[in-house]
Amino acid sequence: MNDTAIVLTLAAAVAAAVPIALAALGELLSEKSGVLNLGVEGMMLIGAVMAFQVGDASGSLWLALLVGSVAGAVFSSIHAFLSVTLRANQIVSGLALVIFGTGLSTFIGKSIEGKPLATDFTPIRWGPLGDIPLLGPLLFDQDPMVYATIAIAILIAFYLNRTKAGLSVRAVGESPGTADTMGIAVAATRYAHVMAGGFLAGMAGAYLVLGQVPSWSQDGTTAGIGWIALALVVFASWRPLRVLLGAFLFGFARRANFWLQGEEWAPNIPAEFLSMLPYLLTIAVLVVWGSRDLRRRVGAPMALGVPYVRDER
Amino acid sequence: MIPFRIRLERRLERHWWQTAATPLLSILAALAAGAIFLLIEGFNPLTVYRELFEASFTSRYGITDSLTIAVPLILTGLAAAVAFRMNLFNIGAEGQLYLGAIFGSWAGLAIAADLPTILGVAAVLIAGAVGGALWAAPAAVFKAYFGTSEIITTLMLTFIALFLMRYLIFGSKSYWRDPEVTNFPQGKKIPPTARFELWSDTRLHWGLVAAIGIALLVWAIIRFTSLGFDMNVVGSSQNAARYAGIPVRRTVIVALLMSGALGGLAGATEVAGRAYALDPNGLELGLGFTGIVVAALARYNPFAIILVATFLGGLRNAGVALQGLPGERVPVEVSLMLQGVILLFAIGGEIFSHYRLSMTRLNTVAAA
Repeated sequence: MNDTAIVLTLAAAVAAAVPIALAALGELLSEKSGVLNLGVEGMMLIGAVMAFQVGDASGSLWLALLVGSVAGAVFSSIHAFLSVTLRANQIVSGLALVIFGTGLSTFIGKSIEGKPLATDFTPIRWGPLGDIPLLGPLLFDQDPMVYATIAIAILIAFYLNRTKAGLSVRAVGESPGTADTMGIAVAATRYAHVMAGGFLAGMAGAYLVLGQVPSWSQDGTTAGIGWIALALVVFASWRPLRVLLGAFLFGFARRANFWLQGEEWAPNIPAEFLSMLPYLLTIAVLVVWGSRDLRRRVGAPMALGVPYVRDER
Repeated sequence: MIPFRIRLERRLERHWWQTAATPLLSILAALAAGAIFLLIEGFNPLTVYRELFEASFTSRYGITDSLTIAVPLILTGLAAAVAFRMNLFNIGAEGQLYLGAIFGSWAGLAIAADLPTILGVAAVLIAGAVGGALWAAPAAVFKAYFGTSEIITTLMLTFIALFLMRYLIFGSKSYWRDPEVTNFPQGKKIPPTARFELWSDTRLHWGLVAAIGIALLVWAIIRFTSLGFDMNVVGSSQNAARYAGIPVRRTVIVALLMSGALGGLAGATEVAGRAYALDPNGLELGLGFTGIVVAALARYNPFAIILVATFLGGLRNAGVALQGLPGERVPVEVSLMLQGVILLFAIGGEIFSHYRLSMTRLNTVAAA
C-alpha cells in the first residue's frame, strides 16, 4: 500500500511542510520577543537566491543551505534595526522588507533565472522501518531536512518553555518594561530573535530552491509560503510543536490537489478552493480562539508589534 | 570606550520644513545606498538613475504612464491611510482590490452595455467599492465584536480573493471568462460604455481625476464630518471615545468598510481604465501592498498620498519602460530594488521627524 496515491500524497505533504514549518518557527521566535515581522516572504527569497548561487558555484548542498540561512538573518537585521532601534511601524517595515527582498533577489538572481540546479537532498532510509505501511514512507524515508525541522521545533519548544533564556524572551514579548526592570536587555533580545527568525526563514527559502523546486524564479520559488507561515504562527497559537502539526496540515492542503484529481470518488473540488483552505482555517481559528478575552490563554505575546521606548514608559 | 552616548530624544516642536525634509533626505540616502548595489553589479549608478528618471518623468508618454500607475496607488494608499491612522491595520487592500475588480467587471459586463458612458463607468466604480467593502466586512465585524486581529484576517482574505479570482478565470467557465478565447483563458472585455475615456493618444485615463476627487472627499470626511471626528477620537483612544459616548464598534466597522471600499475602487478603476476585463495577469499585482507604503510615506495625509503615489508610480513605470529602451541595458529589476531601498530609508527616516539624536558626554572621570 506504500505507493498508493494517498500515501504518496501524505509523504509529499511532509516534505512540503518543511519550508512552511521552518519559516513559521522563525516567525514564532521573532513574535515571542514582541516583534512582528511580515517580511518572511522577502527573507525566504533572499535565502533562496543566495543558496542557489552558492550551490551552483560550489556544488555543496550544506554550504548553500548555510549561506542561505545566514543571508536571511543578515537581511532580517534591517527589520530589527528599523523596528527596534528606530521604532518604526513594524507592519510597514515588514512589508517594505518583502518589496525590497523581491526586488533584490530578482536583481541578484537575474543570471540564474530558469537555470536548473543539480543538487538534491537524498532521502534517509531507516532500513526496514521504511517498509512499515503508511508510517514508513511518511516518517522513515524522508530527506534529512525533515528530521532537522522536527529537531528544531523540539529545541525551540524546550528553549522557550524550559530555559531561563527562554523565559527572558517571553518576558520581553509580554512586558518589555518589566523585563527591562529585571535587567534583561530588551533591544538585544529582540535583535537576536528577529535575526534567528531571519535565519530560519532563509533556511526555508534555501531548502525550497535546493530540494523542492527545480530552478530559481522570483515568483515561483516561494509561491506565497512566507505568508502561509505568518498564518501558521497564529493557527498554532504560538506553540512550536503545534507549528509542526499545522505545517503538515497546510502542506497537505497544498499537495491534496494531485491526489484528489486522480480519484474516482472524489467530488470535483476546484484546485483553487483547496488552496484557500489554509487561509480559511486560519481565520476560523483566529475567530474562535483569538478573541480578546482569550488572547492571553492563546499565547499571543501581549507586547507584539509595540516598540519599546525606555524613557517614555 | 566611546566617551559619548548617542540617544534618541523626542522633539518638542516640529517645524513644517522638518516634516518635508525627512522624506526628501530619505530618498537621497536611498539613492546613495542603491548606488552601492548597482556598482557591485557593475552598473554606472548615474547612468541608471538618469535613464530611470527620463523613462518616467521627462517624456510625455513617460509622465502619462507614471500617472496611470499612480491612479490605483492613490486609491490603495487612501485605503490604507483611512484605517492605519486609526491604528486599524487593514493590510488586505490587495484582496479588496481583487474583489473590486471582480464586482466592477461584473457590473461592466452585466449592466453597463445599455447605459451612457458616464453611468456605465459609475456602475463599475460603485460595484467595485461594494465588492471591496464586502471583502473587508468579515475583518471589520470580527475586529469590532471579538477583537480578532485585523492584520491576520485581512491578509488571509487577500489570499482567498487571489484564489477566487484565479478560479473565475483559470479554474472555471465563469461569467467573467471570455468563451471565445480558447487557447489561453482570459477575462471577457467590458463594453466601451464601461471604460474611462483616454487622454488623447496616451494610456492615461480619467480615473486620475476620479482618484484625486476621491482623495479630496476622504480628506473632507476626516476633516469636516462628525464621522471623521469620531474616527479621530477612536484612533487616539478607544477609552476616551467610549467616555465621550462615541459608538466605538460602529466607528471601527465603518472605518474598515470605508478602507475596503477604497481598495475596491482601486480594482474597479484598473478594470475601467486599463485592463478592461477581470485579468489575473494583467492587473498589476502588488498594488494593494504598495498602497500601504504609499500611505506610510505620505503620513496618511490624502494630499501627500497623491504626490507619493505619483513618485512610486513613476518608479514602477520606469521598470516597464526600461525594457523598451535601446542602448545600455538597465535591468528591469533595478526599479523594484530601488523601490524597496527607498521605502526602507523613508520608514527609517520617519523617526527623525519625531526624535532628534543627542550626544551626551559620559562622565569619564568616574570611569577612570
